[in-house]
Amino acid sequence: MVSQELRVSTAWVLAFVAIAIATAIFIADTITELDIACPVFYTAVVLIAAQFCGKRGIVFVGLACIALTLLSDLLTIDVAPSQAGVINTCISLAAIAATTCLAVKIEMEKEATFEARSQLAHVARMTTLEGMTANIAHEVNQPLTAVLINGNACLHWLGAEPPDLNEARKNITNIVRDANRASKIVVQVRDLTKGQPPVSERLRLNEIILATTVLIDREIRQNQILIQTQLSDDVPPISGDRVQLQQVLLNLFLNSIEALRLAAVGSRHLVIVSTKSSSNNVLISVRDTGKGISSRNLNCLFDPFYTTKSGGLGIGLTISRSIVESHGGRIWATPNSPCGAVFHFTLPIDAGVDRSVKNQLSAGKFFA
Amino acid sequence: MKKDDKPIVFVVDDDPSVREALDSLIRSIKLNVLTFSSAAEFLSFKRPDVPGCLVLDVRLPELNGLDFQHELAKSNVVLPIVFISAHGDIRMSVRAIKAGAIDFLAKPFCHQDLIDAIHAGIDQDRARRQTETILLEIKDRFALLTARERQVMLEVVRGRLNKQIAAKFKISELTVKVHRAHLMHKMKAQTLVDLVRMADDLHAQADVGIGHWHGARPNWNFARL
Repeated sequence: MVSQELRVSTAWVLAFVAIAIATAIFIADTITELDIACPVFYTAVVLIAAQFCGKRGIVFVGLACIALTLLSDLLTIDVAPSQAGVINTCISLAAIAATTCLAVKIEMEKEATFEARSQLAHVARMTTLEGMTANIAHEVNQPLTAVLINGNACLHWLGAEPPDLNEARKNITNIVRDANRASKIVVQVRDLTKGQPPVSERLRLNEIILATTVLIDREIRQNQILIQTQLSDDVPPISGDRVQLQQVLLNLFLNSIEALRLAAVGSRHLVIVSTKSSSNNVLISVRDTGKGISSRNLNCLFDPFYTTKSGGLGIGLTISRSIVESHGGRIWATPNSPCGAVFHFTLPIDAGVDRSVKNQLSAGKFFA
Repeated sequence: MKKDDKPIVFVVDDDPSVREALDSLIRSIKLNVLTFSSAAEFLSFKRPDVPGCLVLDVRLPELNGLDFQHELAKSNVVLPIVFISAHGDIRMSVRAIKAGAIDFLAKPFCHQDLIDAIHAGIDQDRARRQTETILLEIKDRFALLTARERQVMLEVVRGRLNKQIAAKFKISELTVKVHRAHLMHKMKAQTLVDLVRMADDLHAQADVGIGHWHGARPNWNFARL
């Protein structure tokens, strides 16, 4: 993950290199005769520009190279231009134009990919624990509001002279219907916190971590957070449910981002570490230099409905815990120094495989 | 102005349960109510010319309720608005109130708060309609004045004496008194104070300077009035 500063300085280096090469080509072109197709090398300049310029920049560089070609042709005319010379110039110009067009096309493809990615991230967000809990609160709130209003309306109708029993009956019918709607949502939430059995497959944890960081790219940039990953090469593949583990990572990342928003710009650091912590466990740590957690709250962080967010429902970490534990792992939090918090979770390397089966396999060597 | 205009409450909320419940509640307090499931539906409805009030959910599918408030103001719809919201937050409610909403209630809200807000909204709308009607009458009366009568009226409300007015327009003091009597009658003003108040109302509407505080030369645009 390249931080903003590194990207910008790379751009300057490339720009410098491109200008240097263009200058060299121009001088060479001017000195030599038209027969020598020096301007073809301008294509290299265009390709370098494509690394750090947008579409407009690439077109500008392309046109500039064409202009430089024509300029050095004018300056070179001390003898009448030969036919070969003119043809070579045309070939060079065609090459530059073609390279520019291709570079622009590549840039457009890049933009389309980026757009698709951020749309995917958006969809992923909607199915995250955060998105879901906000949705759940809203879904329960609506029928609850309707029940309250219907109840009071019913009292009004019954208090009228004479009482309007038809209206009152309609109110009660609607109350029952809306209360049922709300209870369905409660059932859904209960299922979530119980944790479904994991769909087990072999996973590369580092890949999943990197894929999840892509999903939060927009939030990282918008909040000017410096993100770093320290993903160890000796993390072996583990068995687990990819979607569920991504949910856990996303939950921890978003919590960190939320905490980092309260820190001063420039000291917002998010570090994700993955290591092999022992012979049969991998350890993932998500460190932030954000608001931090008081020691009093460290114990109840994972409790249901514990939240410090004004709009939060407080079941994100609860669900994360149940996912990690159903994989056979452990999740906990510690304070970070100088400030902030670290969330750790372990996953057993042979998680998801039925222990009894594995024991049989290892013991039963006669199965060869 | 028709005295027995029955006010209507308009409800715009995309959740059908909440819509139905509000419909029942508002009818139970003896008010007429019309419900809509979207901003577009509400805007395309031809509203009758009666006092009214709008109960509006802040988060509608195609349009943020606050933007809708802005849109309504831009198209000169002056219905008082009571916001209801499933996602109350302070920033949003402050914006809504600053933009002139009657109230901002977070779901689930106390029904009495909503009823009070609706009544306040209807009263506000009634008062506005009354003021508008009176202003229209004043404008009609002003249009009936002759050019000279208007000139005299302008001087009169600036506190000039008949003698000064006569000197300014080079007419006799008697003529001034006659004009004055005519214009007072046409404007249906009983006293000078009434006349000054009417002039103020016209000034506020026409948005040009009367200038009787500064003694500057007045510049009434008669065509606009």
